[in-house]
Amino acid sequence: MSSKRLALTLIAGTLAAGTLAAEDARQIMEESQRRTRATSERYEGNLEVISPNTKVSQKSWIYLRTGSFGNSKSVIRFTTPAEVKGVALLIFNHPDRSSDQWMWTPAVSRDRRIALQDRSGRFFGTDFSFEDLEERDVDQFDYEMAGEEVIAGAPCWRINSRPHLNRMSQYTLSRVWVRKDNYVPVQYENFIKDKLARRLARSNLEKVQDIWTPRLLEMTDLRRNSKTVLRLVKLEYNIPLKEESFTLQGLRRED
Amino acid sequence: LRIVALAAALTALASAQNFTQRGFLDLTGIGYPQVTQNDSGQFVGEGLFRYEAFYKLGTDFRFSGGIDARADTHQQTESGFHFSFRDREERRPDFAVRRLSAGYSHGKLTLEVGKQLISWGKVDFVRPTDRFAPQDQINFVTPDSLAVTAARATYGTQGDNIDVIYAPWLTPNRDPLINQRWSPLQGGVPVQELPPSIPGGAQLGVRWNHIRDNEYSLSYYQGHDFLPLFSVTPDPLHGGIFVQRFYPQLRMLGADAAAPFHWATFKGEAAYFKSSDVRSDQYLLYVLQLERQSGDWDFTGGYVGEIVTVQRDVPMFSPLRGLARAFVGKVSYTIDTNRSVSFEAAVRQNGQGVRLKPEYTQAFGQHWRATLGMAWISGSPSDFIGQYHQNRYVTLSLRYSF
Repeated sequence: MSSKRLALTLIAGTLAAGTLAAEDARQIMEESQRRTRATSERYEGNLEVISPNTKVSQKSWIYLRTGSFGNSKSVIRFTTPAEVKGVALLIFNHPDRSSDQWMWTPAVSRDRRIALQDRSGRFFGTDFSFEDLEERDVDQFDYEMAGEEVIAGAPCWRINSRPHLNRMSQYTLSRVWVRKDNYVPVQYENFIKDKLARRLARSNLEKVQDIWTPRLLEMTDLRRNSKTVLRLVKLEYNIPLKEESFTLQGLRRED
Repeated sequence: LRIVALAAALTALASAQNFTQRGFLDLTGIGYPQVTQNDSGQFVGEGLFRYEAFYKLGTDFRFSGGIDARADTHQQTESGFHFSFRDREERRPDFAVRRLSAGYSHGKLTLEVGKQLISWGKVDFVRPTDRFAPQDQINFVTPDSLAVTAARATYGTQGDNIDVIYAPWLTPNRDPLINQRWSPLQGGVPVQELPPSIPGGAQLGVRWNHIRDNEYSLSYYQGHDFLPLFSVTPDPLHGGIFVQRFYPQLRMLGADAAAPFHWATFKGEAAYFKSSDVRSDQYLLYVLQLERQSGDWDFTGGYVGEIVTVQRDVPMFSPLRGLARAFVGKVSYTIDTNRSVSFEAAVRQNGQGVRLKPEYTQAFGQHWRATLGMAWISGSPSDFIGQYHQNRYVTLSLRYSF
């Protein structure tokens, strides 16, 4: 074999391996998504927001979702603290672009659209941004296998994901750690311009109605050095929910 | 004591799963460094207890109720037990029905009948199309929205819906008292106020709302203005004037829109007002606004404009038009989960009125919040903002929410 042909073979092999790795990464994410597919979801979330000076404030919300990845709608409605009781966020997730979001403020009976460029803002003083509350549909990202690591004793694939151009995102890169045994993403590291901005750790895995679900989510904002801990209680999947609850009129009705 | 007893009794009610409630007790102190010609009071204390409850019957029916109980040290609140439903009192009622309505929803239809809060429009500072939203503006320190009695039907999808509102009677704005510092009629002439002339008849409004990547609405209103004009006649006996508030017939054609761009969200709202009352102006009021949230910062800024097509020169009290031809803006910063600061400004384009309002607010635990604010006002006595240049104030409020 001539040296030229050998070089070409090596390049072709490298490219093929790269494509295979990318496909593997995508297949892993697709399988992960497939395993968590449910027609609806409801849980009560208890949040602790821990600021850099270790002050803790507590909040809680009720989360409702209808539909599944790419075509789902969700409502997050605060139940405590008392002064924000009833404040709600309506999210329409789309398969081909970023979500639409509206905030409902019952004290003044007003809704306000959350503009795309405002999604990097913190959601009601928590360390979740508005964008973090969207659903991450597998078709809106490019994936690349970046290695393997052990997280909390569980072997994981480490996958890099980058948003497609039609999905406006504050994050330029997200690293996702997916457990090999049950395909649950247990950690996300979200980068803004090559700088690590937020880390989401998902733990306390439980099988709920045959879906492995993390019951504890810890979102750390590394720029502010603050953390929000979200505990999911009374979690249910595939429950009947009225479609009209997921509209602005629905938010008003549930005031 | 009445407020505390009422709070305790109502809090004890909540137990059923379909029953939700919320409310607060708010105590506010306002200090004015200057006295005015018609008001020597320099400290005002206000208390407001609000309780709202909601009950869902099955999946389609819902009932809402709420009450307010108020007291203050400056005779802005009626004394003696009096339960207001129509909110037509000159002073704040000591007890009032905040809301009382029954709702039905099924499929694309939502119906609500009774006393309810209704909000139209998209912009923040003044909303020209918001025709079912009178305010309690007995002072400009603690304004509050007033509910209206109406039947409201909304039909359609999230993307396109139509909103039809029928209000059998007018709920007027609650305006500043003539003998107090926020009165729009000042100038040293003795003023005798006659009972307001509140018109009969119904108000009707229709709004078509479209939501996709952009949002826009068209609205129509026919009824009366909830903001008053003043009929002024001489009082030869005392060498002063008699004034009487009246609420002219009004027709409005309005539109509002919101369009998100890469760098900011643009919002606009405009309404043209016409009246069969020959004492009333005809005019176009519009608001152009940009808003942007960046990290913990919120920026909103815009311009309120007005084009008067027919001018009558009848005295009026209109905080809506009072902000016209002015630049308005608000910046707020969230310090942490419990604390935030904001700064709000309104500057008349001719420089004759300026109002600056910084505010700091902090939450304590799950229920308490303290807010410290002030307003610096300056300008010409002939300007709507400037006329209150002696009403600079400092305010501290403490709220317990439940």
